[in-house]
Amino acid sequence: MARFTRTILGGLVFALVLAACDAGDTVDPDDTADPADDVDEEPDDDPADDTDDVDEDEADDNGADVAGLSIGFAAEPASLDFSTDDGAAIPEALLVNVYEPLVKIDQDGEIVPVLAESYEVSDDNTVYDFFLEEGVTFSNGDPFDAEAVAFSIERVQEDWTIGLASQMDIVEDVEVVDDLHARVTLAEPSNNWLFSMTTRIGAMFSPDGVDGLDEEAIGTGPYLVDDFARGDRIDLVSNEDYWGEAPEFDDVSLRYFADPNALNNAMLADDIDLIGTVQAPEGLSQFEDDDRFEIIEGTSEGQVVLSFNHDREVFEDQRVRQAIRQAIDRESVIETSWGGYGELIGSMVPPTDPWYEDLTDVHPYDPQAAEALLEEAGAADLELDFRVPNLPYAVNAAQTVQSQLAAVGIDAEIDLLEFPAVWLDEVFTEGDYDMSVINHVEPRDIAQYGNPDFYWAYDNPEVQDLLAEADRGDEETFEENYREVARIISEDAASDWLFLAPNLMVANERVGGVPENNVGEMFDLTVLERT
Amino acid sequence: MSGPQPLSGPSGQVPVPGEDAPPGITRSRRSLPASLLVGATLVASIVVVALLSFVWTPHDPLLVQGAQRLQGPSGEFWFGTDRFGRDVFSRLMYGARTTLLVGVVAVGIAGLIGTPLGVLMGSSPRVLGEVVMRFNDLLLAFPALLLAVMFGAVYGSSTLTAMVAIGIATIPVFARVARSGTLQVLSSDYVLAARSAGRTKLAIAVRHVLPNISGLVIVQASVSFAIAVLAEAALSFLGFGTQPPTPSWGRMLQEAQELVAVRPAQAVAPGLAIALAVLGFNLLGDGLRDRLDPRLDDRRGTE
Repeated sequence: MARFTRTILGGLVFALVLAACDAGDTVDPDDTADPADDVDEEPDDDPADDTDDVDEDEADDNGADVAGLSIGFAAEPASLDFSTDDGAAIPEALLVNVYEPLVKIDQDGEIVPVLAESYEVSDDNTVYDFFLEEGVTFSNGDPFDAEAVAFSIERVQEDWTIGLASQMDIVEDVEVVDDLHARVTLAEPSNNWLFSMTTRIGAMFSPDGVDGLDEEAIGTGPYLVDDFARGDRIDLVSNEDYWGEAPEFDDVSLRYFADPNALNNAMLADDIDLIGTVQAPEGLSQFEDDDRFEIIEGTSEGQVVLSFNHDREVFEDQRVRQAIRQAIDRESVIETSWGGYGELIGSMVPPTDPWYEDLTDVHPYDPQAAEALLEEAGAADLELDFRVPNLPYAVNAAQTVQSQLAAVGIDAEIDLLEFPAVWLDEVFTEGDYDMSVINHVEPRDIAQYGNPDFYWAYDNPEVQDLLAEADRGDEETFEENYREVARIISEDAASDWLFLAPNLMVANERVGGVPENNVGEMFDLTVLERT
Repeated sequence: MSGPQPLSGPSGQVPVPGEDAPPGITRSRRSLPASLLVGATLVASIVVVALLSFVWTPHDPLLVQGAQRLQGPSGEFWFGTDRFGRDVFSRLMYGARTTLLVGVVAVGIAGLIGTPLGVLMGSSPRVLGEVVMRFNDLLLAFPALLLAVMFGAVYGSSTLTAMVAIGIATIPVFARVARSGTLQVLSSDYVLAARSAGRTKLAIAVRHVLPNISGLVIVQASVSFAIAVLAEAALSFLGFGTQPPTPSWGRMLQEAQELVAVRPAQAVAPGLAIALAVLGFNLLGDGLRDRLDPRLDDRRGTE
């Protein structure tokens, strides 16, 4: 009988161990396209109270120390080098904070100077004169000057390997007029170029500071990378020689949690002060009734896209693509994958862009219509290779989509791929997939529908012409054409846009000034305030 | 993960049924041991549920219905619904299929390869046997989960790769048990007799060794089954096993964990199912050992 009892106990222990695995375990490496950062300052309360400045050193054990700030993210950067590694997490952590651009996007979506004290644009939109801040140095001691501007821009053209670097191709020449004056000449007028300079490709590097970028970040920003513990955290310390106004928090620890629950739990346990992107919205109710926490809900630029591979024969027929769109009840996708947070969008445009137009009715949910379309297109019994990154929202959205497609006779077989490595390689780079789901967070990424080499391989000359014309034309043409493109791709069902990811954050009472909306590529630490 | 060699006691002697033990005691047990009864009942009910799921489940286990997500237990949804509005009870039933499939295939691979290997090594020259078995020990030290994760990385995660990896990782266990049993049988008088009568090694292995070690192998199979079930659950929990939307208890547990703060009951159902399955196979193994392993008879007298 003794053995009998022992076995029972053994069985229960097994079960408990497994059940207890929930929080801190390696579930899915997360990230990608993760909301990157935000805008829209909240009214700040009182000017910082600096009373708790006491023990600066030695408090950094697990996050929340008195002088510093600890922020939790889900998306872990692959390295510190956004010139060769894709993924939104790297610029999210480093842009503006460590690497500064000439200009950045402010909280209202306006382009404002950073390292460029001011700039002038020629009448034909091709010559940009940047007048640089004086007395700026890189963290390795090198001065920041027009040479560095020329070096950084040319390096994007020559050495950067990420896809976004092609936005710099339009630059014909960078002239060093004098130490603090750089003149950039474009091959043709472009409305997008200056905007793209606010993203990672506009970051300024020191000519002597680009060896070993994946481990070491040398920029001009208010923070220095103190320690990068892969898979765990990036510790930032304030740059004492910073040329501008010092940020409020001296030490900021960016901590990465592969598991969405662990992230919420760290917040509950006061391990972190701010959740940069909530990944388990169902868990939000834990924060709702607690005075210590504030839930911040804004919009992002992250479109969760159900992408079709236009290189595949099945997607050549617009009716098939439209049928898939009509087979999907996107409300239900939001419910199941983001706990009901998030907004419907009918195209690749977030409502915060000026050219947004409500296109949510273009191909409404209608399974009967979808079935009819499939039949008409001779594509009943369609089988699709549905390759999905193993990110929580993507896996959840995929299961809902799979079930709804099954209802109209489409067999989408889900194949989970490890993110970032495997998904980026096989789907994003190699294009080996029929259908996928990912949150595209880059601003103005609707332009990728004009890029036939992008992983969805959408090749529509009309769209390409409109986008090119928009880039060359005046502001009005720009907006008009973008609006037009958004409508065309929606009607053509170039993809399905499941929903706009919400920008959900949770802050405790120590931190204020948290930007509500997620605009641009960076998580701007300089706007955070003590409360 | 203990239990690979439940049969080699401190003495290292693996008794052979029918020998040594006084015949009166060996066959006199009338009442079934409690562990065998409970274990067999649990296993049988899982098998029944799995078979039933082929013909009937209360709801479609794969149908996503956003409108009825996260409902509590009710008359319609006995164990409630998950975040996709799928019926948890139906998914549990379907998941039993996955669980049994993994167990059968993994244990099948391990038993069908490991047992002959063990018998072969037992009948081979001692040196060869020792060398191969040390290599076998090396494999034994390699964790099954790690192997399965590697397989998943190379061949893609699926129920199949999980089953095969767990099976391969379990081969050494069977080889070891089979070899130690074989060595015992080979030293018995009747084998010596058979040998001197000119029987070939193969004939001896088939006629004498296999029947005599079958009890050990069956017990080992039952225990390995429990381990395989747990391994599949762990792998699916980590995302390396069964792929969504196919229900698997481990996967259900993983999906429930995000909801632990809101719907803790969601994690209880698959967790309990895993616990009961593991318990069932372990008890079954224990009970079978009691029936099939005569060495324990002496002890029973004193217990």
